[in-house]
Amino acid sequence: MAKRSLALQLDEAVLAMLVALPARPEETPHRELPALLKIARELRLLPRAEFREGLRTDLQRRTRMSEGAAAQTKDLREVHYMRPGLTAITPYIIARPAARLIEFLKSAFDGIEQLRMPAPDGSIMHAAVAIGNGAIELSDGNEAYPSAPAAVHLYVEDADVTYERAMLAGATSIAPVANQHWGDRWGAVKDPFGNHWYIAKPGWTPGPEGVRSVQPFLHLREAHKLIPFLEAAFGAESLGVAKSPEGTVLHGTIRIGNATLEIDEAYGEIQPMPSHLHVYVPDTDAAYARALEAGATSIEAPQDKPYGDRSAGVKDAWGNSWFIATHLGTK
Amino acid sequence: MRGGTPEGEDRTEQALVAAAQNDPAKFDALYELHFERVYAFVASRARDRATAEDVTSAVFHKALEHLPKYEWRGVPFAAWLLRIAANAIVDQAKRERRESPLEDDSREGDANGILHGSQMRGEELRAIEHRARLFRLVGELPEPQKQVIFERFVEQRSIAEIAGRLGKTAGAIKQLQLRAVQRLRTQMEGRHG
Repeated sequence: MAKRSLALQLDEAVLAMLVALPARPEETPHRELPALLKIARELRLLPRAEFREGLRTDLQRRTRMSEGAAAQTKDLREVHYMRPGLTAITPYIIARPAARLIEFLKSAFDGIEQLRMPAPDGSIMHAAVAIGNGAIELSDGNEAYPSAPAAVHLYVEDADVTYERAMLAGATSIAPVANQHWGDRWGAVKDPFGNHWYIAKPGWTPGPEGVRSVQPFLHLREAHKLIPFLEAAFGAESLGVAKSPEGTVLHGTIRIGNATLEIDEAYGEIQPMPSHLHVYVPDTDAAYARALEAGATSIEAPQDKPYGDRSAGVKDAWGNSWFIATHLGTK
Repeated sequence: MRGGTPEGEDRTEQALVAAAQNDPAKFDALYELHFERVYAFVASRARDRATAEDVTSAVFHKALEHLPKYEWRGVPFAAWLLRIAANAIVDQAKRERRESPLEDDSREGDANGILHGSQMRGEELRAIEHRARLFRLVGELPEPQKQVIFERFVEQRSIAEIAGRLGKTAGAIKQLQLRAVQRLRTQMEGRHG
């Protein structure tokens, strides 16, 4: 195989690094590559130029007038578009009773309840449970949003222990934990609500930021067609898609912002599970418009929400709902 | 650099601090000198960018507020700032715990770790200086290279998106990315930090 250019080698390694995935080993790595990657790893922490300038202006203003500085600082830090604690993609699971699913997530996966907002009737309108460096959002739903089980891929420290704990917490086995040909130690369970949890310990060395603990997994018919939709709507990027000779997606990892989701072609017992996903983007209005242009239907036009997000909703051709949001501030 | 500031820079900095103590409007020069250093330290310990920005912002506001109390007793201004930063990180961790009362105590260890970490070792200081210098060098890159680095690493945009925004091909963006990283490497290795 011809040696690939250094620009390509570097880009592929950077891409893997940005989402903390293992880089595909280069067959003939360029000798300069390791030194360049060392620089690239540091660049991930680079401060935003707007923040540097904004804080400077803010401090200058404060030296001129001592009052009101606090409010300006607040405006400044609210520029970032993702709600703290959430990544760019979070599975949103609707389950009844959601309170029991929260208990399951705590017992099985060491979930930490971050938020629980009750509805007037005592049901859960919205809740968030952190798992590792990611989160699951959930709700009891309502008539418009009936229960919708999802499939989620979790990266954990010890797949065997987590699998056992999930079974003790009431799950049933889909596949016992075993070493897989792609290198991970992997097993799968179904919780009492029908959600699939793919539990894996990576068989590769993650980057300094670690692995993404939570990744939604979409089983789809004609899965390959979802990729151009996500690229158009959310500026997504596919990170390696394995296809069969017939062009069926055997497995694909797709990045949006700082997070990833996985897809494959539904077959056999693994059938599509139309899911809800919460995505954070820099500009909700633009992403909403692009999603509609790419064939989605509107659930809700963009609007500012009282909890400090600008948000919109669309449904894709597979029946998945995408809640698009841009964080405006917490207060 | 050996984990501290060379003596000549010490004197210049001492003059800058004295000037800012007399006239707070001159704090700007200290901000310019130390922004990357403080950010590099905070970002390496914060869990995400939003937190790193919150904490960095708090550090400089606190530094400005307490500047009249700062005395030059052989403690470089940079070390004083980093001490404020270490405390701000602890405060942030405590605030997060208060905001998530349902959380268990597993983060206690982190907060303590940071407290102990405020006694920074030379190795860590060198790593901070190294990263801060890299951040400054990015600011000096030629325009298209600088934009590609910010869009790729900070905004985390895809190559295709950046190509669209800059009106270039994906191949050209990958070349710009390579040239930028190569240039940074040469500059970083040119002067041993």
